[in-house]
Amino acid sequence: MRKTSLVLHRLWQMLPVLIGISIVTFLLAQAIPGDPVRLIVGPRAPASVIESVRERYGLDRPVLAQYFVYLGNVLQGDWGTSIAFRTPVLGLILSRVPPTLYLVGGGLLLSAAVALLLAIGAALRQDRWVDQAVRLFSTVGLGLPAFWLGLVLSLVFAVRLGWFPASGFGEGLVDHVRHLVLPWVTIAVVMAPILVRNLRATLIEKLQADFVVAERSKGLPERSIFLRHVFPNSLLTNLHLLGVVAVYTLGIAIIIEPVFAVPGLGQLFIGSIVSRDYFVIQGLTTIFAILTIGATLVVDLLSLVVDPRVG
Amino acid sequence: MGDDMAPQPIDAILSARVSRRRMLQGVLAVSGAPALSALLAACTGGGEPTPSPTGATGTVAEPVSGGTLRIATPYTVSSLDPIKSVAAGDIEVLGQIYSRLLRRTPDGKDVLPGLAEEWESSVDELTWTFTLREAAFSDGSPVTADDVVFSFLRLRDQKDSAYPGAFQVIADVVAMDERTVQFTLDGPAAPFLGSTEQFNAGIVPRRVVEDLGDEEFGRNPVTSGGFGVVEWRPNERLILEANPNYWRERLPYLDGVEVIEVLRDPTRVSMIETGEADVAREVPWPQIEEFKQRDDMIVPLEPSSVIYVVLLNHKHPVLEDPRVREAMAMAIDREGITNAVTFGNATPANSLIPNTVDYYDPNISPPAYDPDAARALLEEAGAVGAEIEFLVTDIDDQATQLVQDQLGQVGLNAKLTQVDVGGWWDSIIGANYGATVTWWYNEVPDPDPAVRWALCGTCGNDSYYTFYSSEEVDDLTEQGLHETDGDERAALYSEIQRIAMDDVAQIPLWYQPYQNVYRSWVHDLHMNPAIQWNLDEAWVTK
Repeated sequence: MRKTSLVLHRLWQMLPVLIGISIVTFLLAQAIPGDPVRLIVGPRAPASVIESVRERYGLDRPVLAQYFVYLGNVLQGDWGTSIAFRTPVLGLILSRVPPTLYLVGGGLLLSAAVALLLAIGAALRQDRWVDQAVRLFSTVGLGLPAFWLGLVLSLVFAVRLGWFPASGFGEGLVDHVRHLVLPWVTIAVVMAPILVRNLRATLIEKLQADFVVAERSKGLPERSIFLRHVFPNSLLTNLHLLGVVAVYTLGIAIIIEPVFAVPGLGQLFIGSIVSRDYFVIQGLTTIFAILTIGATLVVDLLSLVVDPRVG
Repeated sequence: MGDDMAPQPIDAILSARVSRRRMLQGVLAVSGAPALSALLAACTGGGEPTPSPTGATGTVAEPVSGGTLRIATPYTVSSLDPIKSVAAGDIEVLGQIYSRLLRRTPDGKDVLPGLAEEWESSVDELTWTFTLREAAFSDGSPVTADDVVFSFLRLRDQKDSAYPGAFQVIADVVAMDERTVQFTLDGPAAPFLGSTEQFNAGIVPRRVVEDLGDEEFGRNPVTSGGFGVVEWRPNERLILEANPNYWRERLPYLDGVEVIEVLRDPTRVSMIETGEADVAREVPWPQIEEFKQRDDMIVPLEPSSVIYVVLLNHKHPVLEDPRVREAMAMAIDREGITNAVTFGNATPANSLIPNTVDYYDPNISPPAYDPDAARALLEEAGAVGAEIEFLVTDIDDQATQLVQDQLGQVGLNAKLTQVDVGGWWDSIIGANYGATVTWWYNEVPDPDPAVRWALCGTCGNDSYYTFYSSEEVDDLTEQGLHETDGDERAALYSEIQRIAMDDVAQIPLWYQPYQNVYRSWVHDLHMNPAIQWNLDEAWVTK
């Protein structure tokens, strides 16, 4: 019962956050110098044409008035029209959601798997060469810029070796996977280190915890101590970190998608900012906010399920 | 029109962790391209342009049908309605899906029959009569004189027609019968005939446009060109298929074309290397050099109408002095910069209009490179040590850096300010800048739009927002439009080019060929200086 009310409370909290985000985005986007209409119809278009298109999209009105019209329309399910593509924003955005979800979801799974493997290996052989190697990987991975890494992977594995495509998303599940292997690896190399460092530290801490000493003194086998006690207890504290990493990965997607020409939300986001496509920027910010809040909520729920102390 | 500058600022915004410079070095190191030192060496050495086959892809004689051609381009398609945009990505595509009354030879110089089989003008060249051939739209319905009238009227009159200038001279256009269209002009206009081939003069089906409305037609059109639209995924790709009802017999050879929007240069380069793209647009110069050496790539470096210039703000307190502008022109080593930036693949510019437009004058001579004289002139003008704000959309722009360095050597302090493309336009339109290195192109071979855009002070955009204004040039621009004798026109446009250069309206840098790379299995595909492919004549063997 308390859990349900917690979820409802969290959902209710989303509302002011979303409205706040939408106001800030609207003002910020319009504050950047640059006229979307000129960028879209082409700089050579005469001023009178640009003016008439501005009117057509209501861009000649005061910013606050524009915002309230926009908000009213959104509440009725109309997310506006893309100035750049003269097409409804919501449909445009929704068509771009699957590639990004595949990219982020697969990237997170791979990051988590890699992190688990490396952290366990390192923690069980603390200060031995495995541990040193994992620590080196973490340090290097943390310092690597994602777009640069993506570029290198693309040059080696797509251009030189021809194992994977260098661009796109493909058609059908198998093809999607083939296209996303390199982006996933990119994400894993950049994201896994964050998880590894924390998980390794927690594992080592728990391995020396009082309850583990007690279990050892009772003669429990080392294997079952690790699997039944150390490991689950360590995961719990790392669950929240996974939430943070998930949100971070959403951000990284904006950088990685253009590198591999994955037609997802990130690529659309960059295009819309460059062309000052206000309503698309607005819609995408909202979607990213919802995804972020959603990811945090899922982690909270997972904690609720796993840990009886929460809630 | 510097809208290709879009891709640059993004990395800087999104990746606070690494500076652009470091990233660029990384990219260069990985791809094995010449690093900055080689570039600077080329600057003083003056690399010799490598001879390369021009204007041609492929060599096999007998065309084969079938296959899909994929083009990777940084430019965005924003509408499929021919009249709605004059942006590069749209110009490139619109010409492929709509036929016009006329078409052009591959080099862009001459006109050929298009939807009109023949045409004739009255002696005073005020009345033009076009006879249509038997042709159909992609839905099978016939192209009629009524459709032509409709297409030209919306092009001329509709409020959101993006580039209607050339058609304002049309006083009236009427359908004489099913197959005959007559245009009456307000006055003699030399560019008129050529303008009927312009990218936005494509013929659209009246009935369909009226039924669907502009918005829906712009997304899902019925076309009159070699290709019809299968699907348009905005910001991703445009999927075209051969139009079975195309009026040119046996054409197109291709089953389809995909125009894929790929923002980042390195990604386009990877795609052409892996064969995920058959054609790549805007390939960076280091890779162009690399691909020139390879048998499986074709790098024709076809002439474009792109001209690189230094725009100067004539309202700027320092730059309003003609001596300072002249000194700047003398301080800049055009040839050195051209060779350094383009690896010798471009031609140093001598005039302020593209060298591929009609009546371009090869005999115009800009102030010669002479740093000592430049310094002396600056001292005379009392401008030594003056600061000039240079707008850049990419802080690592090589041309700007070289210009900055060379101006510094004669005592001018060029300060770089980074903005993104949107901010760039806002700044120059508001005269809120000192100078900027940029480029533009002319959509047609006729010099009239070029002069109106770049040099005319009373034509609506203040000489490309330099606020250069010469009454002589403005008068000559109007005369040039109405003069129909070829030799007379040539003289008028020579005079315009000479005056503008004497005034140092801007500083010319270089004429740039297209940075297009084709895979060796692509045949007979060309891009003419007006950014038009001949996709209907292209074929592939892969």
